[in-house]
Amino acid sequence: MSADQLVQGLIGGLAIGCIYSLIALGITIIIRATEILHFAQGEIMMIGAMAGLSALWMVDLPFVLVLIVGMLGGGLAAVLIELSIYRTLRKLRVPLINVIIATLGVSIILQNVARLVWGSEPLRYPPLFRSRGVEIGGFAVSPQLIWIVVLGFAMMALLQLFFRYTRLGIAMQAAAQDPDAARLMGVSVKRTTTYTFVVAGVMAGAAGVLLGSLFFASFNMGFLIGIKAFVAATLGGLGSLSGAMLGGLAFGLIETFSGVLISTAYKDAVGMVVLIAILLLAPSGIFIRPGRRI
Amino acid sequence: MQPAIRLLVLASLAVAPLIQTNTYWQHVFGVALIGAILALGLQLLVGMAGLLSLGQAAFYGIGAYISAALTMRFGVPFILAFLIAGVVTAITSLLLVPIVKLPSSSLAVATLGFNIIVYLILLNEDWATGGSFGLLDVPPPHIFGYELTTERDVYFLCLAVLVLVYLGLDRLVHSRFGRALRAISQDEDAARACGISIIRYKSKCFLVAAFTAGLAGSLYAHHARYLNPNDFTFNKSIEILIMVVVGGLGSLPGAVMGAIVIVLMPEFLRSSGELRLILFGFLVVVLMGVSRGGLAGLAPLLTQRMARLRSSASAKSAEPGEIKS
Repeated sequence: MSADQLVQGLIGGLAIGCIYSLIALGITIIIRATEILHFAQGEIMMIGAMAGLSALWMVDLPFVLVLIVGMLGGGLAAVLIELSIYRTLRKLRVPLINVIIATLGVSIILQNVARLVWGSEPLRYPPLFRSRGVEIGGFAVSPQLIWIVVLGFAMMALLQLFFRYTRLGIAMQAAAQDPDAARLMGVSVKRTTTYTFVVAGVMAGAAGVLLGSLFFASFNMGFLIGIKAFVAATLGGLGSLSGAMLGGLAFGLIETFSGVLISTAYKDAVGMVVLIAILLLAPSGIFIRPGRRI
Repeated sequence: MQPAIRLLVLASLAVAPLIQTNTYWQHVFGVALIGAILALGLQLLVGMAGLLSLGQAAFYGIGAYISAALTMRFGVPFILAFLIAGVVTAITSLLLVPIVKLPSSSLAVATLGFNIIVYLILLNEDWATGGSFGLLDVPPPHIFGYELTTERDVYFLCLAVLVLVYLGLDRLVHSRFGRALRAISQDEDAARACGISIIRYKSKCFLVAAFTAGLAGSLYAHHARYLNPNDFTFNKSIEILIMVVVGGLGSLPGAVMGAIVIVLMPEFLRSSGELRLILFGFLVVVLMGVSRGGLAGLAPLLTQRMARLRSSASAKSAEPGEIKS
């Protein structure tokens, strides 16, 4: 492998890894708050990508605004689903597995609604950046990838700040750790659960715009990416925030480098083999966080 | 469920292809029965042992390709290929023994990973599987000198296998083995304290589930007579899981009903065109909300509601002032 391939692989792997991390973070905070494996998270990402693209069609927006529209789209989709479906299911006190299957139903609904609205053809994002490569240490790197890495890391940093310093963020953490104690402290667990879905949706929406700008947007772009984000979250240890972030980055790098080094056909398989190996060696993931077991 | 109802279901399954003579529908019915065999196997894992597996389609695919390759390349008779497919698939499931000790959400993701690995092997090893073009012209099943060429004949073969698998699993569930599984799914520590070797029982479950999936795969290969790796993605695994949960966790008749409903529902909704899959998604969500036990839980739920309505009606007529909510 040449030095050029190494640099390209690093940047490309980090960029796709950031996207996995953003989705995996959403999956993780949902698991922590509700124990639901949210299989529709990839579809929420897709809605974010579509929302950003639709906004671009209407007005020529700068990229940061497209990203914000995507985040709003993802958050809105998530809150609508949470209020209309998941909250009802919780009220009916159905078993957890029923809720998980319902998230699969939601994923089917979202995909097919998106197909009705945006058609079944993959949609190309207009070029968002100047196409000339940026030189870093003598290597030509696509500015697109750099932006994705920068924005991705910025979003994750913001999320950390949100959880550490805002009242709502702290309340959400408390409710996830011990709902009863949080209730005694005056936290409305019902509300924080809804906010959890909103935050997860916003992160997924951002991931959607970033991914769409890298490749394209289509109604079925979400499911496989969502599954991979699940793998990434498991890699880092389901239920840990830093685990989800690092797991996403690690998974992106593993995928990219195994595509370069081993074979493009088996690059997904390498990620899965690594996942299974890691689960066997450390069943709770690489980044173990003491606390609530899932 | 009452034995009478079970017989009724069996009888209606037996006459279905005689009433509906359209070969397309007969084909779809056959697919539904194969789905039911798959769902029965997964029911053992998810419903009885509480092992959330998302890799069942991998075993289904392995069975299908083994059976097709044996009959096409080596001229092995169908019956033998069918049994070998089941046995070899069961043996491959031993690969999963190391991961059965994982907690359930990790197990789900790990089995999903296994499914993706198997799918990529089916897709990329062209010399064995035909790659993305798939395997064409898989021969129809031959049994004791008879060639089952019509959709109806294959349907009855599937039905026979389904009945055998059902009876086998029914016996298994009501044996010591089944009781041990239920103990494990309720409380692992307590079960271990009673001398149940958790890992061994869970591995056996994977073995049995993989065996049934292998048989289903073999049937599918000779029923569809064309194999493509895309039939064995994790989407299929998820579909099988939906069948089991929609049918009702822990109920064997439920698994059969769930499979039939999940396979036939999109066909019946075909007239709604583009809204078809949206409706399908909604129905899955609604069913998950209204019934804890899926379809199998729906019948007792309805009779309960009826009984409650009747009793409250009689209470109302007797004592109008006092109505229990």
